[in-house]
Amino acid sequence: MTFSCGEVRDRFEAYGSEALAAAERGAVREHLRSCEPCREEASAADPLFLFVGAGAAPVPAEATAGVLEAVRAGIALKTAERRIEVPTARRRLGALASAAAAVALTLLVPGAPARRAPREAVATQGPAARSFAPASNKRPAGEILPNAGGTKTYPADATIYDLGSGAGEPRVVWIVDRSLDI
Amino acid sequence: MELVYSAERSRQEARELPDRELAVQARAGDMLAFEALVLRKTPAVVSVARRIVGNVEDARDVAQMAFLRVWEQLARYDETYSFNTWLYRIATNLAIDFLRSSRSREKAHTATLHLVKMREEQTGAETSRSAEDDSASRLFDRIAGRLTGKQKAAFVLREMEDLDTSEIAVILACGESTVRNHLFNARKILRREISRVAPGLAGPKAKKS
Repeated sequence: MTFSCGEVRDRFEAYGSEALAAAERGAVREHLRSCEPCREEASAADPLFLFVGAGAAPVPAEATAGVLEAVRAGIALKTAERRIEVPTARRRLGALASAAAAVALTLLVPGAPARRAPREAVATQGPAARSFAPASNKRPAGEILPNAGGTKTYPADATIYDLGSGAGEPRVVWIVDRSLDI
Repeated sequence: MELVYSAERSRQEARELPDRELAVQARAGDMLAFEALVLRKTPAVVSVARRIVGNVEDARDVAQMAFLRVWEQLARYDETYSFNTWLYRIATNLAIDFLRSSRSREKAHTATLHLVKMREEQTGAETSRSAEDDSASRLFDRIAGRLTGKQKAAFVLREMEDLDTSEIAVILACGESTVRNHLFNARKILRREISRVAPGLAGPKAKKS
């Protein structure tokens, strides 16, 4: 589709309000690209015609090469990061699994007194007991917990939080393995 | 020597392939194909980003980020769609995000305020003459700071890159009616700004708005 100057000028208003069909719009743009008087007329009618097809200044070849170099460097960095991240992620997963297993093993110790002490009773044990301070519960490494059925052991540098304080309910013991890097 | 020659030949062959085919090869891990795409598309991406972020240095940064994002997401590229649209979508969104960042927003705002102040200090005749001397692209950079990122992107893609509103809708991840709305508002704001900073250029439409 091609337009004469008159046809193009008749369409300035419609162009600016997005009322032209794609083919007509393309023909107007094409005409303006090659017709200086119509371009001036268009800009006088609506200054936004100044921006029709106004591309940015051409990008020099060195700038394009610079972008490529930066992208290469970025890819190398990302690739290196991925190599580092995979083992770290595996190690973390392993540590989490170990921690979960340790907690699962020690959470419920069979044979503990059946009932937990009432809240008031726990409070009377002082701040250390309420905050689960481990100092009084520290046991030598590898010691078998009392009432544990002789089957549970724990690591050398583990800290034990023994919450078993009453009868009638299962005894709860937390063992935190300090060697795990979680 | 043979390897160098072979790599150079592959580069030349890659340059002749269409975008989509290069993208498919790059997706399969062909780095030469990816680099050919970067070289081919950098001018267009920098051009669009330059219009949105307002300066060429930031536009190059956006282009680098865009190609890096493309490389990271190549596995997701669906060759049934135009590679250009996908690339423009990534680049435009990054440019809009960049514009939204406090640094660039402040920069654009300060530049606009400075220019407006300069304009106000000059007489009307001087303002008009000097604005007429400016190229269209410089004028756009001066007044486009008033547009939102999406308005600016819509206008740039429509008027400067000559894309269809449907394609712009895909790039901006919105409906076509939203694109038309962005275009309507962008035109209104730009006409108003032209009549303010360069009254000699403002046509009857700009004076009306």
